[in-house]
Amino acid sequence: MPTRTKMQIGKGDGDFRPTAVPPMDPIAKAVHLRAPVTDGMKEHFAPTDVSPGLEVTRFKPIANLVRSRKFQFFLILPNQIIFWLVIFLGLAGTVVPGLNFGTAITWYVWFALVFVMMVVVGRAWCSMCPFGGFAEWIQRASFWKRTQKALGLGIKLPESLAQYGLLFSVGMFLLLTWIEEFFNIAGPGVPHETSYMVIGIVSSALLFFLVFERRTFCRYFCPLTAVIGTVGTMGSVAGFRTKDRDVCVECKTKDCMRGGENGYGCPWYTWPGSADSNLTCGLCSECYKACPSDNVGLFLQRPLTSLVAPRRRRPDVAWAVAGLLGLVLFQQINATSAYTTLDGALNKVMSFPQYPNPIDYLGIIGAITAALGGIGWLMSRAFARRDLVFTGGGRTFIDKTSKFRAYFVPMMYGLVPVTGADYFARQLPKALKHASRLVPSVAAWFGDGSTKSYLYNYRILSNPHIVLTQLVVVGLGLVGSVWATWRISGRELAPISAKPLAARFAVEAMALATGGAILFLYVIMHAAS
Amino acid sequence: MTFTLDSTMRDLHGAAPKVTILVDRCAGCQECVVRCPTAALSMDTGNWVAKADQSLCVGCRQCVRTCPFSAIEVEGAMMVGPRAETSYRHPTNLLGDAGEIREGILTLEAAVAEASRCLECPDPTCVRGCPVHNDIPGFLHALREEDLDQAQQVLRRTSVLPDICSRVCDQAVQCEGSCSWSLAGGQPVAIGALERFIADNSEIPPAERVSEAAEGLEVAVVGSGPAGIGAAWELVQAGAKVTVYEKQDQPGGLLRWGIPDFTLPSEVAMRPWDQLMEAGVELRCGEEVHPDRLSELLEHNDAVVLAQGAGVPMRPPVPGTDLDGVMDATQFLTRSYAALERHQGMDELRVAAGSKVRPPKVLVLGGGNTAMDVARSARRLGASAMCVDWMDRRFAPVRPDELTEAEAEGVVVKFSTTLAALEGEQGRVAYAKLSHTRQESAKEKPEVIEGSIETEPVDLVVMAMGYRNDPEFSPVLPGTPIRKEVKPLPDRQWTASGLLANPAPDFARHMPVGKLALGRDGALSKAALPFGDRCWAAGDALVGPSTVVEAMAQGRRAGHAIIARHPQRPARTAEPQPPSSTRRVLIAYESRSGNTKAVAGRLQEALNPISAEVTCLPLNRVGAAELAEADLLVLGTWVEGFVVARVGPAKATKAWLAQLPRMAGVEVALFCTYGVDPKGTLAAMRKPLEAKGARVVAEAAFGRRDVEITLAELLGRLVRQPGTGGVKVARRS
Ligand code: SF4
Ligand code: SF4
Ligand code: SF4
Ligand code: SF4
Ligand code: SF4
Ligand code: SF4
Repeated sequence: MPTRTKMQIGKGDGDFRPTAVPPMDPIAKAVHLRAPVTDGMKEHFAPTDVSPGLEVTRFKPIANLVRSRKFQFFLILPNQIIFWLVIFLGLAGTVVPGLNFGTAITWYVWFALVFVMMVVVGRAWCSMCPFGGFAEWIQRASFWKRTQKALGLGIKLPESLAQYGLLFSVGMFLLLTWIEEFFNIAGPGVPHETSYMVIGIVSSALLFFLVFERRTFCRYFCPLTAVIGTVGTMGSVAGFRTKDRDVCVECKTKDCMRGGENGYGCPWYTWPGSADSNLTCGLCSECYKACPSDNVGLFLQRPLTSLVAPRRRRPDVAWAVAGLLGLVLFQQINATSAYTTLDGALNKVMSFPQYPNPIDYLGIIGAITAALGGIGWLMSRAFARRDLVFTGGGRTFIDKTSKFRAYFVPMMYGLVPVTGADYFARQLPKALKHASRLVPSVAAWFGDGSTKSYLYNYRILSNPHIVLTQLVVVGLGLVGSVWATWRISGRELAPISAKPLAARFAVEAMALATGGAILFLYVIMHAAS
Repeated sequence: MTFTLDSTMRDLHGAAPKVTILVDRCAGCQECVVRCPTAALSMDTGNWVAKADQSLCVGCRQCVRTCPFSAIEVEGAMMVGPRAETSYRHPTNLLGDAGEIREGILTLEAAVAEASRCLECPDPTCVRGCPVHNDIPGFLHALREEDLDQAQQVLRRTSVLPDICSRVCDQAVQCEGSCSWSLAGGQPVAIGALERFIADNSEIPPAERVSEAAEGLEVAVVGSGPAGIGAAWELVQAGAKVTVYEKQDQPGGLLRWGIPDFTLPSEVAMRPWDQLMEAGVELRCGEEVHPDRLSELLEHNDAVVLAQGAGVPMRPPVPGTDLDGVMDATQFLTRSYAALERHQGMDELRVAAGSKVRPPKVLVLGGGNTAMDVARSARRLGASAMCVDWMDRRFAPVRPDELTEAEAEGVVVKFSTTLAALEGEQGRVAYAKLSHTRQESAKEKPEVIEGSIETEPVDLVVMAMGYRNDPEFSPVLPGTPIRKEVKPLPDRQWTASGLLANPAPDFARHMPVGKLALGRDGALSKAALPFGDRCWAAGDALVGPSTVVEAMAQGRRAGHAIIARHPQRPARTAEPQPPSSTRRVLIAYESRSGNTKAVAGRLQEALNPISAEVTCLPLNRVGAAELAEADLLVLGTWVEGFVVARVGPAKATKAWLAQLPRMAGVEVALFCTYGVDPKGTLAAMRKPLEAKGARVVAEAAFGRRDVEITLAELLGRLVRQPGTGGVKVARRS
């Protein structure tokens, strides 16, 4: 029989009340919850735990702001307005892409800004995202109020799918990028295509929000969530975390998960009590509002902490990094003349109308991903200690363990900074050449914008300078990767390798080679243009 | 003992349960781990997610119900043996037989075997489902150890009527419907039968005095039914002098004549009264207390508990109910009870039969509990009986066991049938015109099918369509019967227990057991709040027609509140007031930036040494239960609004005040913390409080700079003896 420990009556504040007459709380007397497991808890979370000094919500004005239920609404609102404008102007505005506000803001400014936010903050975009934001308003039937009834079916994503974590998102991102390349939407191309794309995202978000519970869409399917999640782990915001884990472990209500008086249960399936990275915190602040013990805070952390520190490694993140790296490398390779020849030939054979041929698109990305996997496999065979058993984990994709995974997964985490930098560098030319077009595109509403105006043709940086900037950005990413790989391999690969130092150097070499390849491709791309 | 699984049980059930933890979504919160009855769940401390030992899992699915992130799934059979069949007695000759029909569990072995089906759940949902919150795993544990006295003692902590409740409770929608096995879709532990086994097979202890807490209190209880018994028991055990007024010439109320002997034998029904009288409770039978006598009672007693029940029968709005030979269930049951007890026929039936050779035909209007009791009593008195109910058989709120028993005893039960009119011959009822109804779902009201009337010859008609509260009591019990509501955001610990996650299990006839239980619990905590200065209400008088067990629980709760509050009648207040050191203070605050909370903390510190007890809680955690335990409520809020416009108490405070329960007799001190100007904040708080009967004794507004002075002044007011009226100490800087 379970040990009968007296249940703490959930009155909080430790105010146990002695009374003259015995208090009548027969339920509390009959409840005898098991003691929660705490062995190993401290050790598990020590590397990722935030320091109280870095709590942003320590400052009262910030705390009041974040506690307000309207806080997220007002973060979402401006983006909401802009994105409906994008849709509207894309369909009804000028057809000159550079002069259409919809295309100009989306492709010159927004994409680059989202990347900056990812690298600096993490999921800042998710907290203000108009797609999920819009769908969530409808799901909750409320703009900001805490309501108790959800619209829609509220189905939970079955285990058979949920085990693949971020991989659906990678798939969606690949699909979207292919569509975008095929129609040259991001070029930017014809403005109404941007509108259709945005409408497509909003309506699929809405569909998912109405079928599944909480932010299943954001956690698993949103085309951006894998990119933001993985690249965001470099960010300096740790997210909403528990202030005192012991309080959370003893907490009898878990309002932050189930929803409480003033806040919803975490829409992202994250528990502040066990969050060890910012990967799945959408910074929505619901847990902060819901916790009756005021035990949640918004914390800062040193850059790259969420990348190097967590003890729990996720294979979906590793494969997502490999796939995303494959995609961004494809986007560099496609600027080479060798690729143009290949694509042209393939299209002719298949009678496919134009670039990019889906076979070479998926083929190249797949090949890069497979190559990364192959390197991981070789490393595991070369270095793993023979006296260790690597199997014995779970049965599902997410919790299986193997010798291969023991090397591949940490290795891929190490590549996040250089991958992120590469994505960012790819966005730079558009932003650095054309961001100023935002002004004439706004003027265009009043019939005042012109492709001849000064700002339309203004270049923030010249082409050679842009390439240089790209190289510097990727270089910085590479430095980050080298450092992260060194730290990660020291903690995770050294103990399982027969030759620890050799293993660490080998993965470092791989990180360097990846960075080198990216840099090399930028030089070639420049030469090609 | 540890719950073990033997392999034979696995064979018996086919597919063993399989637990799957969705490691992607599992946050390692351990809500499932702390509640798994078999310790099948533990933590994978490497990844900080839950992990399962499949061989220990019994498939009770509590983990599924309690996981906040729906990150755990269980498939496969439930590893539990078949539920014990309790025996029934089928009388071969029904005529005049008033013996008990249900026999319960007969042997200790059988009882222990059934008790072993209990998992002793760490968060037992059955306890929440039981209206008195009996510690079910606790008494079943003792029973398994074959320690019946210990089991009895566990029961007595919460119930003074275990022998009665176990016979009359509708367990399917209470304890058993809320049992883990039932929530998982299986057959629950036979809690009711086991409770009865314990109550019947061990000594029921007398109502001895156990404390001096109510020494010197004199309390009048109106009504001697289960609510009155609960209140009297609680009070007499604490040393109070209790007088019970009963309008009938025998005590027991519904227990005695309302529930026939074949369900609840008289010896069992009278047991509590024998014990209460032995304990010195004064019983005044044949004295009906009208509402206008209340003030007189209050004059001579320190407190009054109104537990007169809800005894006004409902009548169908059809012609002919004033004919001779039409009576209501109360009349019928009282007389049939007497007739069966004396082994005689019943006069009304004899008159109804007249000179006919066939047995008299009794038509019972209604298909619920009471209707079945009437019909079955009629059968025992030699009549034929037919019940008509306008609900569809599928949706009628009737207990299946009672329906089966009634039908086995020859009662004809017609659902989807309603009375259109009664017709008489020479002023005496002779025919009933019955219409058919149609009902497609439980939610919709049955609809009468036009032109479907058939005529049925009848000799006696009994109206058993239910009861309602006596409107004469409305002025003294405003707001009754109170509704058993569930707030949109239910109590967080109830949610955490998982009881609300399976809204309507099969076993509970698809009734929402969790919601029902929570509603009952809300009403129960309201039984602690007085109406007017020293008047409490419990049982059907408080909540409308309900159950025996609820009435008893509310009676006890009211009794407990009286002991805790220790009210005194005016004639006595000339005696010195109790010093403030016996006062229990509740400080409730609504704080945003922490200023109000800080002031509340300071007050707590200051009041602590001079009060019996000081509790400090955020406003959203203060409900009826907390209020009931306080003699002085100190209510604090921050001031909302822009410098000049819409200044007032915080929205949350206003919302809280709007849903305030009765506050009669509670002293209240108000304070607010403001930045610029509190304006009418305190007045806005005072009004709703006074409307509910509270007495505001002090008010204070705390500005930024004058906290210390204001605090001192407010404390000055609060340390003085209560009863000096409201004094404003608001300071404006
Ligand atoms: S954050 Fe708050 S609500 Fe959530 S587990 Fe911790 S103490 Fe409980
Ligand atoms: S509820 Fe808390 S943990 Fe969950 S996404 Fe929002 S801020 Fe992050
Ligand atoms: S089904 Fe019951 S026994 Fe099995 S793991 Fe869940 S809680 Fe434990
Ligand atoms: S209750 Fe759910 S989220 Fe919490 S530890 Fe169990 S499976 Fe994981
Ligand atoms: S009192 Fe009634 S509901 Fe409670 S345990 Fe006993 S039989 Fe069940
Ligand atoms: S009776 Fe049912 S719910 Fe109650 S402790 Fe036993 S198994 Fe659990």
